[in-house]
Amino acid sequence: MLPLVLQAPERLWWLLLLPVLFWLAMPPRPRTVVWTAHLPQWVLAQQTLRRRPPRLRGLRFLLLALACVAAVLAHAGLGLRGTPGPQRLVVLLDASASMAGQGAFAAAQAKLREQFATLPESVDLTVLRCGGPLVRRYGASARTLQDLGPAGGAATADLAALAARVAGPDTVVWTLTDGQGLAPLPTVGALSLVSTAAPNGAVLAVRATDHWPLPQIELEVVVLACTTTAVTGALSLSGAVEPVPGSPPLGRQLLETPVELLPGVATTLQRTVLRTKAGGLLTVRLAVPGDGLPGDDAWQLELPPLPAPRIAVLSEAEGGPFAAVAAEALAKEVGGEVVPAAQGQEVGLLLVDGGQAPITPGQVRALCFGSRWAGAAEPSPWLQPVVADWDRTGPLGAGLDLSGLRIACAFRETLPPGEPFLWALEAGGEKVPLAVVAGGPELASVHFAFRLQDSNLPLLPAFPQLLRRAFVRTYGAGAALKSLTDAPPAGEQDLLARAVGTERPIPPLGTDDQSLGPWLLLAGLLCLSLRAFVR
Amino acid sequence: MKSLPALPVVPPSFSAAFRAVLHEVLARGARLRGARQENQRARRSALSQSGTFVGHRPYARGDDLRGIDWSAYARSGELFVKQLEEEERRTATLLLDLSASLLVGTPPRRLFALRLAALVGGMALRHLDGLLVLAPGAGPRARVVFQGPADLDRLLAHLEDLPIAASEPRQTMELLLQRSAAGRVHWISDFADPSACEAVLAAVRRRGGHVTGWLPAIPEDAVAPKSGYVRIADPETGEHFTVAIDRQLANELQRELELLRRRQDRLFAQCGCPLLRWSVPATEVPDVAAYQELSALCSR
Repeated sequence: MLPLVLQAPERLWWLLLLPVLFWLAMPPRPRTVVWTAHLPQWVLAQQTLRRRPPRLRGLRFLLLALACVAAVLAHAGLGLRGTPGPQRLVVLLDASASMAGQGAFAAAQAKLREQFATLPESVDLTVLRCGGPLVRRYGASARTLQDLGPAGGAATADLAALAARVAGPDTVVWTLTDGQGLAPLPTVGALSLVSTAAPNGAVLAVRATDHWPLPQIELEVVVLACTTTAVTGALSLSGAVEPVPGSPPLGRQLLETPVELLPGVATTLQRTVLRTKAGGLLTVRLAVPGDGLPGDDAWQLELPPLPAPRIAVLSEAEGGPFAAVAAEALAKEVGGEVVPAAQGQEVGLLLVDGGQAPITPGQVRALCFGSRWAGAAEPSPWLQPVVADWDRTGPLGAGLDLSGLRIACAFRETLPPGEPFLWALEAGGEKVPLAVVAGGPELASVHFAFRLQDSNLPLLPAFPQLLRRAFVRTYGAGAALKSLTDAPPAGEQDLLARAVGTERPIPPLGTDDQSLGPWLLLAGLLCLSLRAFVR
Repeated sequence: MKSLPALPVVPPSFSAAFRAVLHEVLARGARLRGARQENQRARRSALSQSGTFVGHRPYARGDDLRGIDWSAYARSGELFVKQLEEEERRTATLLLDLSASLLVGTPPRRLFALRLAALVGGMALRHLDGLLVLAPGAGPRARVVFQGPADLDRLLAHLEDLPIAASEPRQTMELLLQRSAAGRVHWISDFADPSACEAVLAAVRRRGGHVTGWLPAIPEDAVAPKSGYVRIADPETGEHFTVAIDRQLANELQRELELLRRRQDRLFAQCGCPLLRWSVPATEVPDVAAYQELSALCSR
């Protein structure tokens, strides 16, 4: 007995067409009755001609009725009853960084493809990429594992809790993981484990202290070896760096040094290198014997090129030597040179003390002390302003002591709109900027509201450092060192620490009712075709 | 299947107009075919004083002396004349087919069959001694005798009242032979089934009788319809079927009707009897000429 089911049994009312078809299949009734005394002669004449009176053709009507019944059953949704069971499969695919080792992620995807090929089309399939950004694929894109990307990132989801939450009477959860970092493994649904167990060395972090525009870079490299025993690894620095001259031994060997690593202990290694003038990529790499996860072995930094600071000075005639001294100090600090300011001269920084500065604030790398910029209002002196405070957290004032700054006269109108980092107190107690940074992140100019000769700034110990920072600030982000590598996700390095469990197969999934509509329509057409040949 | 419509209704056969025509035709003195022979044979029987003795009556003056029963005179001393029944009177017999198949035609064939019977019967009553009307299937009215021209009205009434009834050939034969029919038998029928008539004709001939077949011929006997989608029905049996008539079928039916006609002719020819076909008028309105022609046919 076939398990048949009707999707719309109310449509079986169309079977009432059968009597109508029977009536239509009857030969037409003659309207005229001819009484005759020669009925035998009529019969003989018809027999001679091998004719038969018009009558209902049983076989033709039967074929027509069968075609009608087939069409009605197809319309009523006759089909084979499906297998009861869950109709939804949710795959939790562990794509954490540990899955990138030993080809585990590719193996897991291969296993998914193999299993998906056997799934009935009716199964509602969802794939959740658990690890890094959560990616959800549904339906056809889930079956093709579209754009799942490589494994990486932290296991952000608690797979066991997620599996327990997703599982339901109509939903089967299938977890594919290497078990790394999981405690416990999901206890509900199907479970497939892929092996990634191997030693692993990882660069956890690289911190750099950049002395730009000087070539010196101080690196702190945090490494971790996840092994069973202490191992000797190799830390190498490669790219746009060179060893510090005079540090024995010279040459490339300095950039690749053996390191002793204890299992599971993070070790901080310090290195000092000189960048090349052109800048470029700096790659810090840790090599551990038998490393199973190469993705976390390297760290890359982008080093900006070193500038060639040409500092030009513009100062009033009565300004004194402060500007020249400051330029000399800055050139010494940043390794540049002081060049005469001339029309058409290309310089790296323009240092202006008092007077009229022929610049547009923020559009020229300049350091201005009480200089009136183009378009500024007529300056009015502000006698003996009291320094109130400075930005103690910003890139200019952090760590500097400007408390001893005394100013005889300031000109507030010389400050363009910008980001203040030094303030003075007005009579009413209001803080008024004394210095601002004008411009954007890539190009800026630093403006002070007083001339060097009107303050004791050049005499302060923080003055050279302030000059250097102002120089760096005018270059903005172009002088910043960039880390191209994100910190590896925590807990994903130890491939040997993995939860152990038993794999569980996918329980039988239910199937939808299979419609017999196309077959019924085909049978109906066949009946009609046969009827065309039946007389 | 829807039942067949009612059988065609036969209009009153003997209207006043027909009666007038009948009387006019009879008055013209046409004689029935074979009436002369019947007269001669009856005279010979009377002269030879043959016949079946049925009784005596006292002698009256003028009686034939050959009829005196001398033995009775010797015993009683009085003269008695023997009463003899004539074995062959000058009579004729009408054998009527009352079957429903005569209802075919427009007007129905039965109408003209009854009028033919009236004409033949009227001529027999006028010129012969009597008329025996046999109507198989008519029950108590199956055998009725009429005598003299005065019985013409009674004959017409009798014919008018005859029912539509089917009869078997055996029944007809028994009715003819049980009490032997007198004179020539005039069999009025459509003879639609010649094989059923064969035994009756043969039996009559074995008894030395003479039969004249009368067939009121309607157009449907000779001409087949040319087209149409009709239901063909037999009023006698009720059988029917639907047929689409085309030229091929019409031709074939025409051929079958011709075969039937030949079978009817051959049947009567084999029995040495004439079969007379009377092409009936197109209307029921009596026409003197048509019935004059019929009377002439009767006389031949």
